[in-house]
Amino acid sequence: MAEMSVIWLRVAAALYSLGLLHAILTLVRRREQLFRVAMGAFVLGSVFHFVSIIEEGLVNNRCPITNIYETLSMCAFLIVVVYMFVQWRYKMNSLSVFIFPLVFVMVLVSTLGNPVSAWPSRVVRDAWLTVHIVLVLLGIAALLFATVASVIYLFQERELKTKKPRAFYYRLPALGTLDDLISKSMAIGFVLMTLAVVAGSTWAFIELRTGWISQPKIAISFFTWGIYLALVFLRTTAGWRGRKAAIMTVTVLGFSALTWVVHARLGNLLLKQ
Amino acid sequence: MKLLITGVSHKTAPVAVRELLAFRDDTLPAALADLKAREGVAEAVILSTCNRVEITVTTDDASDPEAIVVSFLTERKLLRREAIEPHLYRHQGREAIHHLFRVASSLDSMVVGEPQILGQLKSAYAAAKNCGAVCGWLDGLLTRAFSVAKRVRSDTGIGQMAVSISFAAVELSRKIFGSLANRTVMIVGAGKMSELAARHLRSSGASHVFVTNRTHERAVEMAKLFQGTPVEYARFVSLLPEVDIVITSSGAPHYILHKDEMQRVIAARRNKPMFLIDIAVPRNIEPSVNQIDNVFLYDIDDLQEVVNANLRERMKEAQHAEALVVEEVDRMMARLKVAEVTPTIVGLQEQLEQIRAAEIEKVRRRFGPFSPEQEQAIEILTRGIINKIAHGPISELRNHAGQPEGAHVVAAIRKAFHLQE
Repeated sequence: MAEMSVIWLRVAAALYSLGLLHAILTLVRRREQLFRVAMGAFVLGSVFHFVSIIEEGLVNNRCPITNIYETLSMCAFLIVVVYMFVQWRYKMNSLSVFIFPLVFVMVLVSTLGNPVSAWPSRVVRDAWLTVHIVLVLLGIAALLFATVASVIYLFQERELKTKKPRAFYYRLPALGTLDDLISKSMAIGFVLMTLAVVAGSTWAFIELRTGWISQPKIAISFFTWGIYLALVFLRTTAGWRGRKAAIMTVTVLGFSALTWVVHARLGNLLLKQ
Repeated sequence: MKLLITGVSHKTAPVAVRELLAFRDDTLPAALADLKAREGVAEAVILSTCNRVEITVTTDDASDPEAIVVSFLTERKLLRREAIEPHLYRHQGREAIHHLFRVASSLDSMVVGEPQILGQLKSAYAAAKNCGAVCGWLDGLLTRAFSVAKRVRSDTGIGQMAVSISFAAVELSRKIFGSLANRTVMIVGAGKMSELAARHLRSSGASHVFVTNRTHERAVEMAKLFQGTPVEYARFVSLLPEVDIVITSSGAPHYILHKDEMQRVIAARRNKPMFLIDIAVPRNIEPSVNQIDNVFLYDIDDLQEVVNANLRERMKEAQHAEALVVEEVDRMMARLKVAEVTPTIVGLQEQLEQIRAAEIEKVRRRFGPFSPEQEQAIEILTRGIINKIAHGPISELRNHAGQPEGAHVVAAIRKAFHLQE
């Protein structure tokens, strides 16, 4: 990508990051605290984003959708435009929890098209990777909590629906308590996973230079994060609970495990045996 | 000292007998004073509830506590002995302690685990203490019984499950919502039963109550009871998305809430759970509403089923509680056994110590003064001797404590060592 275009895109990503912060606070504290600020930054970011796309088109004298970074940037911009229209027309604030992190991650990845020279030192490289791994593991732990609580929720819900109290009814916690636990652990897990994705993608970008994005294991990580984002969105806005939410939580956990297996090259070990 | 608990309860006597023996609160002090004044009685407590009249006394060894209490009852209540004797239960010694702990823990109650009995026992204790009828050993025993009851309640689930329809509704609400704080309740149809359930929900933390009724004035009247809001009957459905718990008891001959309506309500609530309690007969809510995700519909039979399951569960918990009570009785008995022989052990040790001190003094006068090393050697030697001498009798006392021959062993040792009474 053109040098100036990437700079404008980085400015846009920085502004969009306020949207991510708003989403995190909304999920963890369950209050829309930063929405007005985040929305303002989002609109301003969209201007820089637009400038970046025009710059890229003018420099190369073509529509900037020829590689994955340009396409991601264009796709994110279209999402931004559609969201701004929907927000203007229908005032759907709750949609921001889904859109802001999605746009931020897409734009962040788009800025990682041009390889940078190298790591300043090996210590920084290793520390960066360690932070990414720790965040992922903590995120998976939180997700595991949410999954276990979801399964318990299903048992308790069944007891209450069948109206014949048995052992589970007396021994399992209340649905409200479980729901609270699921929401909190899922939100914390999502925040950790998002930060892990940001840390991981920048690490891979510096480490692997060009072509990092086309690696299957990176693609599967983004896919897993995308499902997680959808789950969090459906829970917070549509109020998904019980069976549907439990199945989706188990799915996200399954994909997280798969991503882990792929990254840890456990597949090779398994295949050898 | 002898301990006796005797009386009648719902298990041994019909209400016609129980009411003849009952003591009103205002007559209790005089009755306790009368009982305490009888020859041989050391302490007394009278527990009088609708399900039991029970007298606990301690007497000296020479007295017959059964005869004392029966004559007290017959004289006080002007009854013939034959009229009450067949209904009386009697527990002495260990059995009495076991019975007292069971009563305090609500294991002997008509509804096992009900909490009132402990309060009633505490009132009986307070009344006895106020008029000086409890002032020593029985005080310790009753205090122990209260601790046992507390332990039973906290260590078993005996009192946790609701055993009435209205409390079952509260319990289910807690199972669904966790806490009832900030939950809103809607009462549809102003019946007695729904009023009771709403009252329990309100006292358990529900924040607001809406009331609706075909006759609006009745709704206004009932809303006042809960500082709630009356709602026009025609618009109560439109308010349902804001309500967490709905209690219906309207006299309508048909369903007033249908599945499609409730589907819209739950969608408007963004799938937040809802608890519908239909205590009307005929029912007010279409039963298929329970099939909707996050809606929990209970009719009067479902609530009764929960109550029955809770009673079964309480009986299971009662078995744990019984084991716990036996453990506490054993502990109490062990403590009593030790207390029984402790004065003799202490007396023996003091006697031997006096002999030792006197003998050392004699030796010191004759051969002293001694160097510190010599003093230390004498101290170690003499203390070793008296400890060895005391070991045999003390072991015997401890081994025989609480046994039938225990009193003889105590007497023999006291005599052998010239211990004063």
